[in-house]
Amino acid sequence: MERPVRPELVCPAGTPAALKSAVDAGADCVYVGFRDETNARNFPGLNFSRKELEDGIAYAHGKGAKVLVAINTFPRAGAPELWHRAVDDAARLRADAVILADIGLIAYAAGTHPDLRLHLSVQAAASNPGSIRFYAERFGVRRVVLPRVLTVQEIAAVNAEISPIETEVFVFGGLCVMAEGRCALSSYATGQSPNMNGVCSPASHVRYEEQAGGITSQLAGFTINKFGQGEPAGYPTLCKGRFVANGKTSYLFEEPTSLNTLAMLPDLVKAGVTAFKIEGRQRGRAYVAAVVQAFRTGLDAVMEGRAVPDIDLDRITEGGRQTTGAYERTWR
Amino acid sequence: MMEGQFRASVRPMTPPFTPVLLLGLALKPVRLGLLQPVFDAMLRVVRRQHPDILERLEPYADRIVCIDPIDLPFAILLEPNPADPRLTVRRFVDADEVHATIRGPLETLIALAEGKVDGDALFFSRQLVIEGDTEVVVALRKAKDGAGIDLVADLTGALGPFSGPARRLAGMALGAAAGLRSGVETLRQSLIAPAVQGAAARDARLAELEAEVKSLRKSARRGHS
Repeated sequence: MERPVRPELVCPAGTPAALKSAVDAGADCVYVGFRDETNARNFPGLNFSRKELEDGIAYAHGKGAKVLVAINTFPRAGAPELWHRAVDDAARLRADAVILADIGLIAYAAGTHPDLRLHLSVQAAASNPGSIRFYAERFGVRRVVLPRVLTVQEIAAVNAEISPIETEVFVFGGLCVMAEGRCALSSYATGQSPNMNGVCSPASHVRYEEQAGGITSQLAGFTINKFGQGEPAGYPTLCKGRFVANGKTSYLFEEPTSLNTLAMLPDLVKAGVTAFKIEGRQRGRAYVAAVVQAFRTGLDAVMEGRAVPDIDLDRITEGGRQTTGAYERTWR
Repeated sequence: MMEGQFRASVRPMTPPFTPVLLLGLALKPVRLGLLQPVFDAMLRVVRRQHPDILERLEPYADRIVCIDPIDLPFAILLEPNPADPRLTVRRFVDADEVHATIRGPLETLIALAEGKVDGDALFFSRQLVIEGDTEVVVALRKAKDGAGIDLVADLTGALGPFSGPARRLAGMALGAAAGLRSGVETLRQSLIAPAVQGAAARDARLAELEAEVKSLRKSARRGHS
């Protein structure tokens, strides 16, 4: 398959209503997960039953959009059945691709469903041509979601070496510290991690407490942050906690902020990226509609040779702040 | 609930000055027994039109969530047991009898229920307060966001042959509410105008003093060198 000239806009959906919002707002693809620990957004009340996925795929296909199913956690040792069933069901329901991270699961999908399109999840952390080519040559992986650690120049260099393997990059949403797929911070406090259980800082371990000076967030009994009155808040994850080191209280790992590359879309298109991914299956459909519309408008402008309009997305960003992250590495 | 009622939080949010706050004041003397049937009817409609909400909440059937509109003189307790769900209006709520609380202005809570605003964004900007069992609150938010609730359409749709006139009536009521909102906003601006002017004058004076201190420090440094 030749690299499409026009990059795809890949949008998140945690519920059937969000899927409809994404498709209606102009998504080329919508990525979703089953309602269990086989995907990295295994949050309470979120995700799709088999019937909901079947209906969602019918809706998306009816409007010319694709549905990708994320099965991107790592199967428990000796118990891969749940993950195998997820792959089988995604294939049976005619999902357009599955997004996988575990090498054993990729081998299972490639062997059992040779016609099923395979995408490599960001959780697999494949960020160099050798690694990417291995997945493509060995298992027929068609697209790789790149970790958020590369600059635009590095992405362009990777693309030049791996063609015709497609790359997908994140363009908006939450950020993780720079070891995607290998972060175990959450499990130290809660016993559960995104890689194994699909949850980073699970809601069952989170508590908020209103106090005189503001709000305190706790994870598994550990106080990890305190926000003053009116101060914008962030997700209650350890990587975004404020800690005291050398007598100074600060965000040691990363500040609560959202990735926003709207203004960089022309550079990412030039870098040969096949698909632009919006993070946020855990967010509401109002977020999905707003971000998808903004990026649809921006991408259409780029493809028509117009300037990318300045669209304000401040109100939906984490901590009320935005960054271009590693794409520009302004901290260096 | 408005100030004066029991709250689980030690520091309740201050309600915004809106028509809802005025409505809340007007509702203060109303017996809750008169309001309860309204919530019973709402629950019936939601059960009929959005059964997936309770289905998604099944793992949390035994958790009680307090939904607390800070500009109204009552709170609503939600018991999401799919076999026997309940919405109960309460004047007083003991923190120990609920597993979690969602607190915010009524209009924000309605927009959240209808999926018109993103729950995370509201939390980031501190327009929404969550207390207690975060898991059930997250589940509730996802469940209702996924349901595609439209309160006016859902409630008027349940009126059968009267749904058309009811929808038109609701449209007129919403139009009137928007007009009232504009009037209340003018009133609010007018009430706070003296305070705003005073704050602006203080800010200007503070800026002058800061500039003066800066200049004096510069002179002192020159004197020492």
